[in-house]
Amino acid sequence: MSEQRPFRRPQPADWWARPPYLAYTLRELTGVAVALYGAILLAGLICLWLGPDAYAAYRQALASPWSLAVHGLLLAAVVWHAVTWFEILPKTMPRIILGGKALPQPAMTAVTTAFAAVCSIALIAFVVWWGRP
Amino acid sequence: MSETPQAALAKTIELRVLRYCPSKDGEPSFGTFRVPYTDDMSVLQALQSVKAEQDGSLAFRWSCRMAVCGSCGMMINGTPKLACNTFLRELAPGPVTVEPLANFPIERDLVISVGEFVKKIESIHPYIIPKQPKRVEDGTYRQTPGQMAAYEPFSDCINCMLCYAACPQFGANPDFIGPAAMALLQRYNGDSRDGGQRQRLDQIHGENGVWSCTAVGECSEVCPKHVDPANAVNQNKSNSAFDFLLRFLRREDQP
Amino acid sequence: MKPERSIAPLFWLLFGAGGMLAALFGPALVILTGIMAPQGWGLPADFADYRRALAFTQHPLGKLVLLGVIALFFWHGAERIFLTLKDMRAGNLTVLRLLTYGVAALLSAATLALLLLIGF
Repeated sequence: MSEQRPFRRPQPADWWARPPYLAYTLRELTGVAVALYGAILLAGLICLWLGPDAYAAYRQALASPWSLAVHGLLLAAVVWHAVTWFEILPKTMPRIILGGKALPQPAMTAVTTAFAAVCSIALIAFVVWWGRP
Repeated sequence: MSETPQAALAKTIELRVLRYCPSKDGEPSFGTFRVPYTDDMSVLQALQSVKAEQDGSLAFRWSCRMAVCGSCGMMINGTPKLACNTFLRELAPGPVTVEPLANFPIERDLVISVGEFVKKIESIHPYIIPKQPKRVEDGTYRQTPGQMAAYEPFSDCINCMLCYAACPQFGANPDFIGPAAMALLQRYNGDSRDGGQRQRLDQIHGENGVWSCTAVGECSEVCPKHVDPANAVNQNKSNSAFDFLLRFLRREDQP
Repeated sequence: MKPERSIAPLFWLLFGAGGMLAALFGPALVILTGIMAPQGWGLPADFADYRRALAFTQHPLGKLVLLGVIALFFWHGAERIFLTLKDMRAGNLTVLRLLTYGVAALLSAATLALLLLIGF
């Protein structure tokens, strides 16, 4: 038999930045926004614990144009997180058989995304109602 | 050599093929071939034309020519595809870059090492493990269309390994059990005749089992048979996670 | 021969819980706490003032909500950031785990401590 010397090509170090993997990397990076928002809430909790003056400073910072811009970006990222989350969700579930046929994944994504939209709208509506003067 | 009027007008396309001969080359390098083609020709036919008329040493796997045997998987313009199912008319004007399947060691030219993949397939008990012992006298199993629908797509896998070429986690970790092996596992786990879920779960609960997967999803995107291996891997993350939590509640003799 | 069991499921379940919470309520939370309340759009200007915030945080349900949201959002982010850094081959895996899971654990503990310190 002729000489056997298998050749291993190295995986490109930047595979995650090239199509088709770039979309996946951007999806994963929405996790940074989720963690960042958690940090903003934690900062508020710390200031609340420190006392009325610290908390007033926190509220003032939140009211600034910078904060508005940051939260706009966070909102876009969190919405992208939600959209891509329900795209993957059907993959994590066993096939649901109804009437002898499997439920199509795009339908599951559409329904769960709509449900999420309802949840967020409901929460906003509830808080607005609770906070009415 | 005289040319017919038709030959003089023949379209040609350039193929850049990654070549590697272990006894001659230190590393792979590209060779180019110009191939006359017609609109019905596949990349496989172009390779066969090269082998017949330009370079008989070109090595590549093929068999059925109709996307059911899984032999001719290769990278065509950077995407894992079956060569018999990829048409030159869609790649014109070219050049077309043809390379062996990514993430696998190259044996020669477009031929990659398959042995490790076969071991992975074998490791997940790829056969019905009956729930109870069953005698021939008891008759055949019966299955409703719904019960078959629960596992049938996973049984469509032709072992072409395009999913492994598409998976960057397999690229980073060659010991990852991978999409096709998990699809085969789910083909059996989802079969109403089978009771072997416990044994198979034990094979995939490690770092090289389902937990190498990060749900990139490219495996299902490139699968020529719409097997959806990403579904097989990721639904078993849930199974593995619940087993992780609930195993202490299991008695030794219980599945 | 059985492969060794991985501990990954623990972090995956935390990642999943945080991800589901963020997918269902994340947009609303960002809009409410980051845009509507600070700007006074749709909510009174004093909606999130010290008195009200303290009352919410001192209430057991308020504590549960804050702990759940903050901790799970950190664990979700930690898993995704860890795996992305691993994809990018950013460094030694143990170091990456400390920087992600370790920090998430620390911040979750800090959140719990603050919620208890702030009283009932």
